[in-house]
Amino acid sequence: MPAESASLDAPFAAVAAFDWGGDIEPLAVIDAAVVAAGSDPGLRADLERRFAAVLAGEASQAARQYVCRQLCLIGTAASVPALAAMLTDPDDSHMARYALERIDAPEAATALRAALAELEGNLRVGMIASLAARGDAASVPILASLVAGDSAVAAAAAEALGRLATPEAAAALAGAATSGETAERVVDARLACAAAAVAAGDKPAARAIYKAVGEAVGGAPATHRGRAVRIACQRGLLATLGG
Amino acid sequence: MPRRLSEGSSRREFLRTTAVGGAALAAPYVITSTALGDAETPPASDRIVIGGIGLGNMGSGDQRAFLGMKDVQYVAVCDVRTRWREEAKARADKAYGNHDCAAYLDFRELLARDDIDAVHIATPDHWHAIMTIAACRGGKDVYLQKPETLTLAEGPPMVAAARRYGRVVSGGSQRVLDDYRGIVDPCWAGEVGTIKEVDIAVGGPSRPCYLPAEPTPDDIDWDRWLGPAPWQPYNAGRCDGNFGTNGNSWRSYVDYSGGSLTDWGAHHFGGAIFAADLREEQPARVIYHPPGGGQGAHVSLEYPSGVVLHHNRPRPLRPAEPSVAHQGAIEIHGDGQPREPKAVPLYRDAAGSIYGDFIACVKTRERPFRDIELAVNTMTAPHLIAIASRLERSLDWDREAQAFRDDAEANRLVDRARREPWML
Repeated sequence: MPAESASLDAPFAAVAAFDWGGDIEPLAVIDAAVVAAGSDPGLRADLERRFAAVLAGEASQAARQYVCRQLCLIGTAASVPALAAMLTDPDDSHMARYALERIDAPEAATALRAALAELEGNLRVGMIASLAARGDAASVPILASLVAGDSAVAAAAAEALGRLATPEAAAALAGAATSGETAERVVDARLACAAAAVAAGDKPAARAIYKAVGEAVGGAPATHRGRAVRIACQRGLLATLGG
Repeated sequence: MPRRLSEGSSRREFLRTTAVGGAALAAPYVITSTALGDAETPPASDRIVIGGIGLGNMGSGDQRAFLGMKDVQYVAVCDVRTRWREEAKARADKAYGNHDCAAYLDFRELLARDDIDAVHIATPDHWHAIMTIAACRGGKDVYLQKPETLTLAEGPPMVAAARRYGRVVSGGSQRVLDDYRGIVDPCWAGEVGTIKEVDIAVGGPSRPCYLPAEPTPDDIDWDRWLGPAPWQPYNAGRCDGNFGTNGNSWRSYVDYSGGSLTDWGAHHFGGAIFAADLREEQPARVIYHPPGGGQGAHVSLEYPSGVVLHHNRPRPLRPAEPSVAHQGAIEIHGDGQPREPKAVPLYRDAAGSIYGDFIACVKTRERPFRDIELAVNTMTAPHLIAIASRLERSLDWDREAQAFRDDAEANRLVDRARREPWML
């Protein structure tokens, strides 16, 4: 049964003091309240306020993980500021995304995009991954600007563009000047864009991608990877026939 | 001692920073006497060249199975645990009487080898989708241990990768066909009539893990073990590969497994769904039955063909009725009316094993018995049950959209963010 607000005081005090190996029994009351909050806006708002207070305090990493797991399910725009503040912290960035990625409020995407512009390296890759997972087409221009050369960020941006698979994403991938592993990811992403174009009924666009990628890989690739890409292009071209 | 960011995880970084370690781990490629073949063994040029990723409990069993096949050449192993990696290399070397099996810490190193045709993957579940998709992109065929998926969202991109690149990807539940012929044969023979209901009893879902920190042994690369999962401190009970779900194995915990519901569920749901010929379908409606009358909650799945699958429905088994096929935890109810028999799909190799089925399909390019799409469909059942049970409500599942209808909260549980730098 969901708890009355006052009865949540002790469990939340337990969360604030929680650490790895701690007693999880008091948290069960909060777990139940989180499930009940789906149909109780007042309870949801109360829980979000309490969770934000935990994140703003001196809670352990274990406690912050616990909170992010709950906000993954019930977080709204109200929780975005507390979570966004964690995105630049290497200890918390992933779990902040764990919640933000699943919060459908546009404020969550805005926070991820802002962090993307600010961060570098793996943390930046994380923002790219979450924006792609959200299907955030508004990220295409900034992702397109990142697909150049050969770096983990460029490879991730290529992956993300392939997942978003909009015509703008396909155009950005076609014009990307890349090398190494990033170039391989661009090929995979272009094939994903072509498949999306077929699904959307734009067979000419798909055909153009398959032809371009197929010509680049050549008629008799020497590697497993090359042959697999060749197969993908041939199968893709077959799917574009007849319309 | 908080720590969190996945360090040294990019392939380029690995190649740059571990050149010495990599050289120490990986043996040179050498042509040996076994490469030439004999009266019973095809020459190496005719064999399927295979490597293994994840060589613990199930992985070691898978490796032994492939090592026993004369048309397989086993050349490489990868594991983040030193002992398992070395033991796996020793098994391969002993089988061939040489020292040629290469050993890798990073699976991307193994996948980068162009002489390898196929890989078997038996890591904890949180790695399955990432590794399978990477292998398909690299042009490798894949034998993937069950449960094939950790989240609902992982299935479609795994199937897409297999289809796009023309790969043979087999799921890894040997029990579906090996253990359940007792219900499969009468159901496919039409003996119970048109199937209406299926009862199945499997264990529960996994749970979050907050085990205390323990000193990380030198034997394990903990950051690589965690990979896309949330950072948590090392604890032996968090990562032990035993088959229990009582809190002392990774199978107990939500970041790495779906618990008994998906672990044994891959077998039991697999057997029930195969017997009822539902492998091409995904449930359309998930009905949550709250606890009451002294009974616990249970969940029913309605399939588009009209069959209803009940998980843990509190009712006595009725194996004696002629319209009921019963085996173990599965009970299948038909209407008892005569029905045309159908041929039971079987493995494609004469030896009759799921491993032989995979290798046969690698050669013929046919789809294997537990083709990844059929496996993904099967795993959808326990994933849906877990979500309905957590939310304590019924749900509508839109297979086309791969999303729940009119339930934003449930859709939040379709997937989860992966730790950087990993992404689907």
